[in-house]
Amino acid sequence: MNLDPNKKSRARKRLLILGAVILALLAVNVAVPRKKVPPPLNARTLKDLAELATVEYSVTKIIAHKDVAWYGDRKILFETAAIVKAGIDLNELSDGDIRREGYKAVTITLPRPRILLFNMKPEHMHEIFNESGVLRSDFSNQEKDALLSLGEKDIRAKVATMDILERAARNARILVESWLSRMGFASVRVEFRGPGGRK
Amino acid sequence: MKKLALAFNIAALLAITLLLYTPLARLGLLPSLPSLFRSGPLTIEETPVIIQQVKNIAQMFTQTFYDEYVYDTGPIRTPVFNQDKRLIFIAKGEVIAGFDLSALSESSIIRRERAIVVKLPPARVLEVIINPSGFETFIEKGVITFEESKKYHEDARRIFERNALRKGILRNSAEQGREMLEKFFRLLGFETVDIIIPESR
Repeated sequence: MNLDPNKKSRARKRLLILGAVILALLAVNVAVPRKKVPPPLNARTLKDLAELATVEYSVTKIIAHKDVAWYGDRKILFETAAIVKAGIDLNELSDGDIRREGYKAVTITLPRPRILLFNMKPEHMHEIFNESGVLRSDFSNQEKDALLSLGEKDIRAKVATMDILERAARNARILVESWLSRMGFASVRVEFRGPGGRK
Repeated sequence: MKKLALAFNIAALLAITLLLYTPLARLGLLPSLPSLFRSGPLTIEETPVIIQQVKNIAQMFTQTFYDEYVYDTGPIRTPVFNQDKRLIFIAKGEVIAGFDLSALSESSIIRRERAIVVKLPPARVLEVIINPSGFETFIEKGVITFEESKKYHEDARRIFERNALRKGILRNSAEQGREMLEKFFRLLGFETVDIIIPESR
């Protein structure tokens, strides 16, 4: 067990150097700043709207995710539903869009319909399958929210390609015609602005 | 003694590597250690969107209330050997109020020459919207199931609705509805416009 005094002092020196290096690196680690998380904002505001929703689509989608890795797999499945409402924005209506011929005939030019509202309620979301390998962590809420957000994005994109806007236009025409007829207009004509039209 | 020194040297080298790696990772020059074990970018499988129902509606949206709320469950006690749970998330969304015009009947519109009287139903909250993209998990401790987090998300929606009602969304909604319809009927040539809106309960 008796070591050579030279070897002993060399080992001590090496220990000292190592200790100094570790201390210096610790100081660098403390000095390099961590990313700061911005504090949440509080934005409570009321805003006026003038929108007429004329059609409501209820849609469903299965959201599936497979995470395959060398140290194990993770799989999750959700069943989700969304409500999409489309109609017209009456704020875009101006004086020139309503043309009266006396008090019995009227022609009204409505703005092009658009999707007004998209709602994915938590109560309509169900986790139907969730499995993680032994070496894998379970899906966190953050990951689940991110997957559901991707599903939301996909539903929005696919609904936009459906016939929702055509139906919204058709229903808006029926609604406005029926209201104006009830108001006593004998002749009611409802038009829509063309894509290349005004505004 | 030699074995101890060897073990110490290995430990010291590991510590140095780790300490060298961490600041470089923080500066973005190297991937962070957890990311070596993290899965790739989240993607979802291609699945169809199926239409379950199409409904003709007549809803007039006249007011929206944007809200942002930090929801904190507080520490949730769990059985002795389990870690206490806690979830803090930020919810962003909106509450929409207005009128359901499908309830309008023949007797709701009365026209006399250039005067018109329209009786509307009371203004009400039509939608509370916090979509998945509106939830941002801030702190998540312990195992929180999907059903539990759903319960908190639903609670956040109730808070949004309560805040909107406190802020006077129904009063504003009724006022805006009145203004909007008055403007519309005047454009149609009516000189006297009377919009009757019962007070919301």
